[in-house]
Amino acid sequence: MHSSVTVRGQFQHSGSSSLYAAELVLGADGQLSVRCHSSGEQLAQAAPADYRFGTVIPGLPVELRLRDGAVFVPDDSRYRWPQLSKGAGMAERLESHKMSILAAIVLSPLLLWWIIVDLMPMLAGAAVPWVPDSVKQQMGRQTFYSLQQTALAPTELPAAEQAMVRYHWQMTLQQLQLEQQQYRLHLFKSDFFGANAFALPDGTVVMTDQLVSLLKDNPDAILAVLLHEIGHVEGQHSVRLIAQSLGATLVIGIVFGNPEGVADLLLGSGSVLLQNAFSRDMEREADQFAIAKLTALGKSPQAFADAMSALLASHGGDNEQTSALLKYLSTHPDTRERIEQASQP
Amino acid sequence: MENNITTPPQPQVDKVAFSGKAGEFFGIWIVNLLLSIVTLGIYSAWAKVRTNQYFYGHTRIDQQPFRYLATPLQILKGRIIAVIIFALFFVLSSLSPVFALLLALAFMFASPWLIVQSLKFNLRMTSYRNVRFAFHGDYLGALKYFVLLPLLSVFTLYLAMPWALKKIDHYLCSNISFGGKKLQINTDTSSYYIAALLAVAAMIGLGFVVAIAAFIIGMISAATFGSGFDGDAGLGTLAVLLPVAMFAVYFVGFALSGAVYQSLIRNHLFERTELPGVAKFKSEMQVMPFMWLILTNLLAIIITLGLAYPWAKIRKAAYMASVTTVAVYPGINSLVDEAQQNSNAFGEEAAGLFDVDVSLA
Repeated sequence: MHSSVTVRGQFQHSGSSSLYAAELVLGADGQLSVRCHSSGEQLAQAAPADYRFGTVIPGLPVELRLRDGAVFVPDDSRYRWPQLSKGAGMAERLESHKMSILAAIVLSPLLLWWIIVDLMPMLAGAAVPWVPDSVKQQMGRQTFYSLQQTALAPTELPAAEQAMVRYHWQMTLQQLQLEQQQYRLHLFKSDFFGANAFALPDGTVVMTDQLVSLLKDNPDAILAVLLHEIGHVEGQHSVRLIAQSLGATLVIGIVFGNPEGVADLLLGSGSVLLQNAFSRDMEREADQFAIAKLTALGKSPQAFADAMSALLASHGGDNEQTSALLKYLSTHPDTRERIEQASQP
Repeated sequence: MENNITTPPQPQVDKVAFSGKAGEFFGIWIVNLLLSIVTLGIYSAWAKVRTNQYFYGHTRIDQQPFRYLATPLQILKGRIIAVIIFALFFVLSSLSPVFALLLALAFMFASPWLIVQSLKFNLRMTSYRNVRFAFHGDYLGALKYFVLLPLLSVFTLYLAMPWALKKIDHYLCSNISFGGKKLQINTDTSSYYIAALLAVAAMIGLGFVVAIAAFIIGMISAATFGSGFDGDAGLGTLAVLLPVAMFAVYFVGFALSGAVYQSLIRNHLFERTELPGVAKFKSEMQVMPFMWLILTNLLAIIITLGLAYPWAKIRKAAYMASVTTVAVYPGINSLVDEAQQNSNAFGEEAAGLFDVDVSLA
């Protein structure tokens, strides 16, 4: 048991703004009594069950609250009640101790990095198999519908070219023993996307007229692009990207709270950069899928490099290496890096 | 009894005092950050309470501090609800664009409720001299002022926006009470238009300065690169510098017009608001010092990779306190908070499920 203490401070009755300069006596038995300093009048009395200590915060006095809402605040902001439990002062000790502050400076960024770069993608990958097929179907259908309404026009390719692409598509699905019903190929003319191809989570793969025209002399390159898109579907990248972005946004939002105005902007751009980084990782995964399957089909991985080179040339082909800054703003890896990846023996 | 004054009411006029220290708060912030990360966000509720208690406790009017009364468990509850809602929104809206549109519409009608809920909670959890604040707004009022008026002002090509902002401020302030007394507010529409005009003018002025500077730099660089053999090298550097420069200009412009609007409006709002018989307010913000504060705070945060955040936060709080004066009348000594007298201060009675601030922050 602690011995009796007497503390000078300020007392207020419940819900009342009147202030009293007072003296609080906390007996060895835990009984508390507060007296007005000037008049000596007894202001309050309480048993241990009817009062509590406030939070212990560095630089602030620890108040004592009575059950009815009255408050006693010690005059000395450094005064710490001997009756405080060990745990109550724990946070304050950590927050003002040099070693724990140093440890926090070092460990916080490392742990945050690990959570976002390793833990989140791992959890997202583990969560994806739990997403029901019907949800993926729904996602694919809805997105496909909106795109059809806005960015896609019926194909204008000659029948021969259409047949050539479809032939490669059918051969690929058969030879890789993928479920035929799960995959559908569509050809569209799109000024919005230009020469491009994309995959939706339900197995819908879209290739634009512009891309087919660009690669029509090199059917293996078309095959490589198709394999890349199949890689996105097989890897369930759409769902994983959503899960990862959600996780990262939540972690950043919760950990950093609401950093008024300025830092908000930084965190906002930070999560865009993160999402793009996740997206680049998945593009690389789909690239690797395409390259591996090209080899399995007895084709040269060079076909993938050819497709990339053709795309690069069609985009104007600036001769400079992509600048370091723009690299982080991109949703796809650097095209030259992707070509080199495929050209490696 | 202290402050026992019987002469005619003479106000005690004082600047708001802020005694938080950057070094002290740095320790609190970084340790709480680590604990929040280690506990996967759960401790962040405790961190928020400790941070608020630190800032409230170090802000004093007439030597008396504010107090933040929310408990970590209340905050945690609000955050869990917010996380679930946010995750649902995020997932559902990425499922289909049609869904996303419907959800945005639903959110528009739910947001006034969330705003009112948050204001009620946060004001009730704020006390000064053991008397709590309160917010009396309701859903319909919030719907009108936060959704309908801004929406309508879009149709006037934003010409009615300053008027809508005045209405919003009026709605917020006139619904705040302290110890059963409501704030009285009497703002001018013209002051809001002047502030908005000056903010836009500052933005345009900055645009002119930047355009002229860009023209001069362009002339100089054209002269330098044009004569060189490798023109592409210059373009490469430009491609990197341009987005950075654009971002910087955008940010300075944003900070400048924000500083103009905020200082003018805060000064006007404080001048025209009073708590009858208890307090009058005065705010003397100046555009340039405030903008300098915001820009240097941001720069420090960027350069130190975030480590200067506690310093920046303390610095801003200290500035805000230093430009604020409160005249406290003796009526402050006899306020009674009736709602509080009938309740258990330890909050042990079951609170309603939605007695929370549904917020991630």
